[in-house]
Amino acid sequence: MNSRREIIPITYRLAPALLLAGALLLASAYLASAGPLAQTADEGRAIFEQKCQACHTIGGGRLVGPDLQSVTTRRERAWLLSFIGTPDRMLAQGDPIATQLLAENNNVPMPNLGLTQSEVESLLAYLENPAGAGQATTQPQAPTQVLPPGNYARGWKLFTGEVALVGGGPPCMGCHNVGGIGRYGGGSLGPDLTQVYSRLGEPGLTSALANFPFPTMAAVFTGKALDPQEQADLLVFFAQVDAQGQAMPPAVFDRYFWFWGLTGMALLFAGMVIFWPRQRLSISEALRRKR
Amino acid sequence: MNWNTLLFVIFPYLAILLALVVTVYRSLTRPFTISSLSSQLLERRKLYWGSISFHYGIVIILSMHLLALLFPRGLLWWNSVPIRLYLLEFSGLALGFWSLAGLAVLVWRRLSEARVRVVTTPMDGVVLALLLVSVITGLWMALAYRFGSTWFTAVFTPYLVSIFTLQPRAELLAPLPWVIRLHVFNFFLLLVAFPFSRLVHIITLPLGYLLRPWQIVIWARRRDDRRAYS
Repeated sequence: MNSRREIIPITYRLAPALLLAGALLLASAYLASAGPLAQTADEGRAIFEQKCQACHTIGGGRLVGPDLQSVTTRRERAWLLSFIGTPDRMLAQGDPIATQLLAENNNVPMPNLGLTQSEVESLLAYLENPAGAGQATTQPQAPTQVLPPGNYARGWKLFTGEVALVGGGPPCMGCHNVGGIGRYGGGSLGPDLTQVYSRLGEPGLTSALANFPFPTMAAVFTGKALDPQEQADLLVFFAQVDAQGQAMPPAVFDRYFWFWGLTGMALLFAGMVIFWPRQRLSISEALRRKR
Repeated sequence: MNWNTLLFVIFPYLAILLALVVTVYRSLTRPFTISSLSSQLLERRKLYWGSISFHYGIVIILSMHLLALLFPRGLLWWNSVPIRLYLLEFSGLALGFWSLAGLAVLVWRRLSEARVRVVTTPMDGVVLALLLVSVITGLWMALAYRFGSTWFTAVFTPYLVSIFTLQPRAELLAPLPWVIRLHVFNFFLLLVAFPFSRLVHIITLPLGYLLRPWQIVIWARRRDDRRAYS
């Protein structure tokens, strides 16, 4: 066909441009990855305050995770480097210390924070000597904050989205399930939160609601933090849902989604049958049959 | 610089640039190649079951993506009552399955019909493969990572806005499961393929048909014949 002939030469003619684009892409990738960052305890402190503080203190007791005071003497440096860098992989490989830590911390796994090797080194430099790195704020922020009294009903509405979050964040139900939330459950992108209150403990959950120390949520809620009243309402909501204990993993609801998806498709195809007879024959077929 | 930046910042900009520049270039220099390269005259029956279901399914789903990008708050308002959220998710799934079934018919048609096979270019294979990846990963997400209709507004609306405002925030995508990132990356691959393939026919969006006056078609044949030809 004519049109086929027309198109192929364009593709060929643009091949040099495409190759050039690819070369530029690789070059820029190489240049950008070339310069390593300085490994300093100050950088480590900044990382700690930004990414670790929601779950850990240094000498302030345990929150969601253990107190990190003198952690650099408790554990091997090589182990710390790989665990802080890729805790998910260490757990998957069945590392004995990682497995033990998971059990000790209510089965809340440490998330992969996406730190580079040099960032982990800086963090370790800070953890070795927290007092030496400028003004170290070793006290956790969240538990010291006093929340107003919470309201269960309002917590429910915040969870489903019936009451929108003040900061503009998405409602919890978009990604999370809790027992008894709706006929077909809540979301399944994030973990089930039915038992989150007992899993994280009240201080841990309070801190989590204030800081979102989980990589997905941290990015989504940047600049959209929950206000203290919302945190309090959700805390009460989670406490009560936990007490009711109607755990229903989102996987239970999977079959409903398969069922309605496939049924809907069948209905759409059924609708197409109505229009089918008019499409039956091609012109040449009609001519052939007429003979 | 890491893989995430490469795949979701640099590559998207190259893809968008390529799609825009080559489409404009192609429509200026070879306007008559802007075509869907229809093979309806060669085979009609499988095309009916494949093309109608694929196109209606994918066009409605793409429009919903666009609405979620333009009116995130409206979508969150709709989803704030669980039954409405479920209704939207079920409809999306039904359209997704419909679209996938249609795509499967189109692949089968291209392989099984000798006359269609003759006019098939390698690029047609690329387009079909990319579309399959797109629809399958989309369905996978809708089934395994619910509820996309809500979290799209929290992840992809800000991500796409950040791309358009030249302040890319690829960190939004970094922690997501690989299926979701593949769905996004595959979209940019489709953008790259767009100007070099039959996908370019999308720009001919036939909205004119909605507004133009009726056309009366008069058959200069006997009444009995008319049915056989239609």
